[in-house]
Amino acid sequence: MSTAAHWLTAAEATRAFAARTLSPVELLDALLDRIALLQPKLHAFIRLDAEAAREAARAAEREIMSGRVRGPLHGVPVGVKDIIDVAGLPTTCHSRILLDNVASADAAVIARLRQAGAIVLGKLATHEFAIGGPSFDLPFPPARNPWNPAHHPGGSSSGSGAGVAAGLFPVALGSDTGGSVRNPASCCGIVGLKPTYGLVSRRGVFPLSYTLDHVGPLTRSVADAALMLDAIAGHDPADPGSSPSNARLFGRDLDRGVRDLRIGFVRHFHETDLPAHPETTAALAEAARVLQAAGAELRDVTLPSLNEFAGVNRVILTSEAWSIHAPWLRERPEEYGQLARRRLLPGAFIGAGEYVGAQRRRAQMIAAVEETFRDVDVLLCASSMDPASRIDDAEETARTYPRQARTPFNVTGHPALAMMAGLSSGGLPLSVQFVGRYFADATVLRVAAAYERATGWHERRPPIG
Amino acid sequence: MTPDLLTALAKAAGLDKALAAFPEDVAAAAAQALATAGAIAVPRDPAAEPWPPMRPPGCPGVGL
Repeated sequence: MSTAAHWLTAAEATRAFAARTLSPVELLDALLDRIALLQPKLHAFIRLDAEAAREAARAAEREIMSGRVRGPLHGVPVGVKDIIDVAGLPTTCHSRILLDNVASADAAVIARLRQAGAIVLGKLATHEFAIGGPSFDLPFPPARNPWNPAHHPGGSSSGSGAGVAAGLFPVALGSDTGGSVRNPASCCGIVGLKPTYGLVSRRGVFPLSYTLDHVGPLTRSVADAALMLDAIAGHDPADPGSSPSNARLFGRDLDRGVRDLRIGFVRHFHETDLPAHPETTAALAEAARVLQAAGAELRDVTLPSLNEFAGVNRVILTSEAWSIHAPWLRERPEEYGQLARRRLLPGAFIGAGEYVGAQRRRAQMIAAVEETFRDVDVLLCASSMDPASRIDDAEETARTYPRQARTPFNVTGHPALAMMAGLSSGGLPLSVQFVGRYFADATVLRVAAAYERATGWHERRPPIG
Repeated sequence: MTPDLLTALAKAAGLDKALAAFPEDVAAAAAQALATAGAIAVPRDPAAEPWPPMRPPGCPGVGL
C-alpha cells in the first residue's frame, strides 16, 4: 500500500480491511503513533480513549476476519467533539462548568456510528460550549491548525478539523450553529458538511441554540462525508426537530458530475457584503470556472445580505443560548472563559419581541432562499472570507471570525458543505461552500465530489509530522 | 446605554455577580445586543409568522 495508514480515508481503510491488506488494529496503532507525535503540537484531543478504542479495534478485527461486517464504517476510528455524549466519558464542552459531567448514555449519533461499526477514539477540543473562540483561560488548551500551528484551526469544532486534517483520525463529528463544522473544514483544508436541519438527531448533544444547531461530519474526502451521513442520518422521535426522513445512500450521485446542474453563484456575499481577501475571491472565481468547465450552468443569484443573516442568527442564537446558560451565568460566571462569557451574556439583553422578530424575519429569509432554488439546483458561495488568523492575535481573530458566509444556512436549515479551494500565499487553506435544497444533501455531495475530482485539493497534506 | 440603565437591566436579569466581577464583559454584551438587534428588518406585516412554525400537539418530530 503506497499511502501511509494514517492518511487513508474511511472508505479506503474499509476497502483495505476487506482486502486483508490492513487490519483495524494496525490502523488504530498507526493513528495512535501519529497522535503521540502531534497531539503535543495540535491539542486536538481533550481526552483520548485509547484502551476502549483498542478493545473495539480487536473486536472489529475478529469480526471482519470471520466475515461479519457490521456496517460501512466497521473498524474506522472516529473523533468526537466534546459536546457530544459518549457513554462513560465526560462531556466537558471544553469548560470548567462541566468538568465532571460524565455521560450516562451515547448520543444518538454515537449510537448510530457504533451500529455502523465505527470506533470512538476520544473527545475533541471545541470552543467553550461551541461558542467561545480560541481561548487560553480554559481547562484545556485550544486546538491548533496543522497547516501552521501558529494559526487557529477554526471552530467551534476545532479539534475535529485539526485532527482530521493532520491524519490523527480519518473522520470526526462536529456541530454547526453558526458555521462550526464548516469553519474548521475551511481553515484546515478538509470537507465539512452541515446536513439539512432535522436530518441528523441532536439528542445527547449539548445544545447551543435549539433551532440553529446541526450535527455533521468532518472528513478528508467527499465520499467519506457521504459515508458518515449514511451512518448518522435518520429520524429520532426523541429529537423534537427531527425530520421523518430516513433517506440513505447519500453518496449515490458522487460520480454523476455536474453536467445537468444549474449552479447559482452568490457573488455579493464576498464581493460587496463582506469583501473577501483577494486570494479567496480568486479561488471562488476559479471554482466557478471549474464547475462551468465540467458542464454546469452558472448564473448569478441574489440572497438577503450577509449582515442581516448574521444579525438574525446572532439574536436567535444568543437568546436561545441565554435560556440554557442563564443559571450558570448568574451563579458561576467566573467559571466561564472570557470569550464564552462575552458571547453568551448578550442574550440577557435581548427582548422577547426582538427574538420573535428575528424568527419572523427568518421565515422571510427562508422563503427568499427557497425562491432562488426554483431557478437553480445548488448554490456556490464563500465560506470564510480570509485564511485563518494567528491564534495568538486576538484582535485579528475577532476581526476575521465573523467574516464568513455560513450563518445564512443555519438560519435557513439548507444543507451546506465547505471544502478546500486552494492555498493562500501564506500556505493556509482557502475554501468554497456548496448549498442545496432541503434534503438534497446528496446533490450537494455530488457537486462537491465533481469539484474534488477536478481540482485534487483533497490530496494536499499539511506540512506537519 | 447609560451606566444606570445597564446596571438596572443586568440586575433584572440576575447578573449581580457577573456585574460585580466582570463589569466590562457585561457592558460589552449589552452593547453587542443593542447593535445586533438593530441590524434586523423585522417584518411590519402582522401576518408574517415566525419560524419554526407552530405544530399541533401530538405531531412531534416533523422537522422541516
